[in-house]
Amino acid sequence: MREALHLEDWQAWSAAQSGVAIRSQHDLSSNVSASPLPPMLRRRLDEVGRATCGILSLLDADRACPLIHASRHGDASHTLQMLASITQGDPISPTRFSMSVHNAVLGVHSIAQRHHLPLQALGACGNEFDALLCEAMGYLVEGYPAVVIVFSEGPLPEPYQEHAEDPGVPCAVGMRLSLGRGAKMVSQAVASPSRPTPADVIAWLNTDSPYLDGLRRWRLEAG
Amino acid sequence: MGNWNTYIMSETSDLTLELKHMIIDTLELEDIAPDDIDPEAPLFGDGLGLDSIDALELGLALQKRYGIKLDAEAEETRQHFANLNALQALVEARRVE
Repeated sequence: MREALHLEDWQAWSAAQSGVAIRSQHDLSSNVSASPLPPMLRRRLDEVGRATCGILSLLDADRACPLIHASRHGDASHTLQMLASITQGDPISPTRFSMSVHNAVLGVHSIAQRHHLPLQALGACGNEFDALLCEAMGYLVEGYPAVVIVFSEGPLPEPYQEHAEDPGVPCAVGMRLSLGRGAKMVSQAVASPSRPTPADVIAWLNTDSPYLDGLRRWRLEAG
Repeated sequence: MGNWNTYIMSETSDLTLELKHMIIDTLELEDIAPDDIDPEAPLFGDGLGLDSIDALELGLALQKRYGIKLDAEAEETRQHFANLNALQALVEARRVE
């Protein structure tokens, strides 16, 4: 028997006035009044990093799920600033350097929430959504009852804008997945694979589009 | 004489405020105001609650702004970073004009 991923719940966030529609029960900004992060940790994250931690805290309130965070570009703004410092011969900020690793956001979240289960950070050249599902399936067949995945992109610095695909606005989307609770996710082969951004995933979950094309075409069956 | 004392006092408090602003800006302490920093309270751990990355960041700021180079491993560095008053004494003694 083949196991199938099921979507139990989801939450999304986009920067103010971004034009990304999110139904209110799934909109992070209408579901949290205060950040789950203490101020001394919160200061280290930008807006999208804070939103990622907010989504993780809502979808894994019991700290019972492995967490997987994907971002194609990561914190490109600060990375570019560090590269500029190096070319000018200036020392780089130890804080920025420490936060420049791809798993920095998950690290801050795990410290703040005392989360002790597996954490994984991914970048997949545009195939982040498929990679997240693949990794989530791995944890689920190993026996974890649920996995929380988050896909986010921050602002893309101006010098990169002509050269990289991105959602155009900072946004993040999280999904809690299991093997039997919620809406069943079904997929079929797709003629021309796509590289969905978090904004595309939000549009699909929001039911603005009937399917989501990645390496496969994904649909949700009524749960 | 009174004027001289007043002069010394204001020089000192100017530097105190300058260092408070340097700590807040450099370490992005967005929820902290200068008045929240007690000059006698520990900067690290209990007190203000800074961590080891902040210590490196602060060391870099002292080097950039005042030309003070510290050895990250030295025990005396730990003493210079004990609280704001200790930091201020360090800057007064070793700043490169």
